[in-house]
Amino acid sequence: MINFTINGQPVIANKGETILQAARKAGFYIPTMCYLEKTTPCASCRLCVVETDKTDGLILSCQTPPTEGLAVTIDSDRLRTERTNIMRLYDVNHPLECGVCDKSGACDLQNKTLEFGVSAQHFSAKDQHRTIENWGLINYDPSLCILCEKCVHVCNEIIGDDAIELQFGGYKSSVIPKNSEKLDCTFCGECIAVCPVGALISSDFKYSANAWELSQIPATCAHCSAGCSLMYEVRHTSNSLGAQPKIYRVTNDFEHNTLCGAGRFGFDFDEQGEKNELEFENALNALKNSSAIRFSSLITNEEAMILQSLKEKLGIKLYNEEARAYQRFMSAYSSISGKSGFGGTLDAIKQSDGIIVFGGRITTDNPVVRYSMTTAARHNGAKVVYMHPLEDELLQNVVTQFVKYEVGTEEGVIAMLAKTLLANADISDEMQEYFKELDEGYLCAESNVGDEEYARIAKSLGRAKRKTLIIGSDVLNHKRASNIARLCAMIETYTDFSIVVVAPSVNTIGVSLLCDLDSDMNSGSVVGYNASGDYLMGSVGDVNLRLPSINAQEGTFVSINYQVLPTNVAIAFNGYVLNDIANALGLEAKNTIDYTSKLPLNQGFSAKAFDDLGNFYGSFGEDNRGYILENVDVEANGVVEEIEDLPEFNGTVVYHCNPVNQFNAYTARCKQLEKDTTLRGSAQFAAAAKINDGDKIRIEFASEMQERTFVLDSVLKGTIALVPAYDVAFGAMNDKYRFEKVKIMRMGSES
Amino acid sequence: MHHEETFTDRNVSEQSAYFYVDIEAYPTTGWDKFKQVVSRAVKGELFVGLWVVMREMIKFDIHTVQYPKEKLPIGPRYRAVHKLLRLWESGYERCIGCGLCEKICISDCIRMDTRIDENSRKEVTEYSINLGRCIFCGYCAEVCPELAIVHGGRYENASEQRAHFVIKDDMLTPLDLLKAGEQNEYPGFGAIIPGSDASVKKTPLAY
Repeated sequence: MINFTINGQPVIANKGETILQAARKAGFYIPTMCYLEKTTPCASCRLCVVETDKTDGLILSCQTPPTEGLAVTIDSDRLRTERTNIMRLYDVNHPLECGVCDKSGACDLQNKTLEFGVSAQHFSAKDQHRTIENWGLINYDPSLCILCEKCVHVCNEIIGDDAIELQFGGYKSSVIPKNSEKLDCTFCGECIAVCPVGALISSDFKYSANAWELSQIPATCAHCSAGCSLMYEVRHTSNSLGAQPKIYRVTNDFEHNTLCGAGRFGFDFDEQGEKNELEFENALNALKNSSAIRFSSLITNEEAMILQSLKEKLGIKLYNEEARAYQRFMSAYSSISGKSGFGGTLDAIKQSDGIIVFGGRITTDNPVVRYSMTTAARHNGAKVVYMHPLEDELLQNVVTQFVKYEVGTEEGVIAMLAKTLLANADISDEMQEYFKELDEGYLCAESNVGDEEYARIAKSLGRAKRKTLIIGSDVLNHKRASNIARLCAMIETYTDFSIVVVAPSVNTIGVSLLCDLDSDMNSGSVVGYNASGDYLMGSVGDVNLRLPSINAQEGTFVSINYQVLPTNVAIAFNGYVLNDIANALGLEAKNTIDYTSKLPLNQGFSAKAFDDLGNFYGSFGEDNRGYILENVDVEANGVVEEIEDLPEFNGTVVYHCNPVNQFNAYTARCKQLEKDTTLRGSAQFAAAAKINDGDKIRIEFASEMQERTFVLDSVLKGTIALVPAYDVAFGAMNDKYRFEKVKIMRMGSES
Repeated sequence: MHHEETFTDRNVSEQSAYFYVDIEAYPTTGWDKFKQVVSRAVKGELFVGLWVVMREMIKFDIHTVQYPKEKLPIGPRYRAVHKLLRLWESGYERCIGCGLCEKICISDCIRMDTRIDENSRKEVTEYSINLGRCIFCGYCAEVCPELAIVHGGRYENASEQRAHFVIKDDMLTPLDLLKAGEQNEYPGFGAIIPGSDASVKKTPLAY
């Protein structure tokens, strides 16, 4: 605690807080142009200057912490002149095109220009010819750019792409792609979000609507389990285009949260439906006559509740192998930890100084976990250990140690990791004995991870104070998933690691908590809800009865923060919803959201009604979204089993892994997102599989065949190729182990 | 301290500000009513009017406007169906697609779509006004920063439907008319004040 004064009034700052942060918390206003809460100060605008009694010159409040007894003045004639002059300089030759600019009405420069009353240009500089650059999904207009560097900071510190930089050249300065002619990045679009002027704009949105015409609908992203907050910005189209509401863009509260490219650019997946009574009858009959409902995890908690109630009412079975695998994993986990859920959160990752990622390609599975890791690495200097059979290029700026293990040997690796991390932990004698008995030679040899690598992990994380272990979704469908879960739980229970288990889909966790799932025997007639079946309903693919997609529904999700997050209707849906079907089958609820307050308390839900759930961040980043699920105590009666023989994956192995910004059947439908459907492999893989770049190939999986094009990816290493899963029917392959032995044939060469 | 304002006494009844108009009693009997009608109907003025009509008839110089063959000129600031104007020099559309007219429209009858064109400029692709809703208030013309949307003189917009629209093609000055110099500037609200050039402050170019 540091006591100091602002304009003569006493203010208390926490240790590590800057003058600006303390002032804002105390309700004082200091103008800024380049300040971004989530990054280190850019210190480029100099608008936040203040006077103190201990310095002669003006100091930047955004990067200076106060000292005890300091007297700060934030408002004086001298400061006002200084700030006005800064604004005059910002406005030199700034194009007078507010009339067409996309930022107009929501522009920091516009606001501050009016605030400081800059009504004429007092300074002059010879104008430059600057052309608008098209960087794919992003348009950059250098003449509008005020060089605040927010975009550069966020790209480097939060996202980790490090794809743009400032080209210094006095008045000629501009933002340019780093080390490349064209922008080569994951297109998260966070630079667009933070841009205070209209310099960086989504090229799809550019000049299509104005800020004041769009109504903002707070929602939760439908694509991965991070459950990011976003705003669907909706407006009607013109009369000749039907005057229908349409989502024009997605924005986020960029000060406090970060969105990936799929969230930002993948919003146009809604499809309209109609009330066809005949088809509704068909759906009811199909449900009455079938033995099971198979569904994906692209549903809200309320819908999951409806399905569970239908199960109880009709005695029908519920199939969702993905959520069932998660359920199994977590129940094994709880049997050791004594808690229903894991203890880590995305915030915990951000604050970590030691991170281990195990068993998942995190950059594409859950980009926000990656951003949190980048933040931790940049802000806390976190050591990041990445353990996976495949190296990930997108993590190269963050990872301090890459541990490559053989495919299928996850159980051995986690056992050895647990042994390393639990070396000095206070565990039971049996467990000590268990780890002593581990056949280290065998496990290390089979998994191809040497003793010295574990020793290095122990050493580099030894000094870390806040540690996180991130478990990817590879292990959820591993044959030995339960034992892996128990070993993970050992680590969380007996060390200071907190654990995050990355769920594969948006609401896998919600479904796993709410539904009593049955083993999918694939027998009898099945109704598919966004999944395969004999009668199809839902919002994905060619269905018999169309139900609303997630951006046309209200309800809640459970994110990997164990947070119950509300989402709202962006585009009103004209057809039937699942609740109509449930009501016709004997359940009673006026709206789907009537189920929100009935979510089971014994799973940690609270009885809050949907309309009582907030969906916003406070001024200082307070999370006012939904509520946190209670981590319920459960009986810890599990026993860690012996490690089974580690399997070998020889021959041609592919990894089910979506390309950047692709997650599911929704993202596959989005106009702006790149749809790479190729099998990508290294030169080594191509040689082993005897295929060449550009070959049309047929991939023979255990259960199906796929025809794809092979693309030689110079970045990839090793003998495992990446096969996308978002473009298969219903957009998911989360019901089996992600590595798979396949046969690959060149098309035309079989016969 | 509480301050009590003293009001002037507005109670008019006490100051006899009102008085009763002396009205003749209404006729009650049939005979009285008949007398009143005759005294009101049969007067010399009737013949004055008849004489004027007869005089003008004989002159054969009729002032009646033969609508719709003939139309009276309307005031230049009259607000009838909108027009979209072009720039005199280049022939480009003046409309920059800022959307202010759409925003200010109090009857919410303007809708537009814009996009980025091949030259990286904002292009208006669709523009429509629902004349069934439009109240011809002139706000759109007043708010337009480019003098692009103005009111024209076409006031005949009878329609068989309540909702009927003008679209961009109807309102935009055709290029041949522009070249022939037949685009009229609108002098109503929002137009440039005469002599406004003198008030423009120039940016210093001291380099």
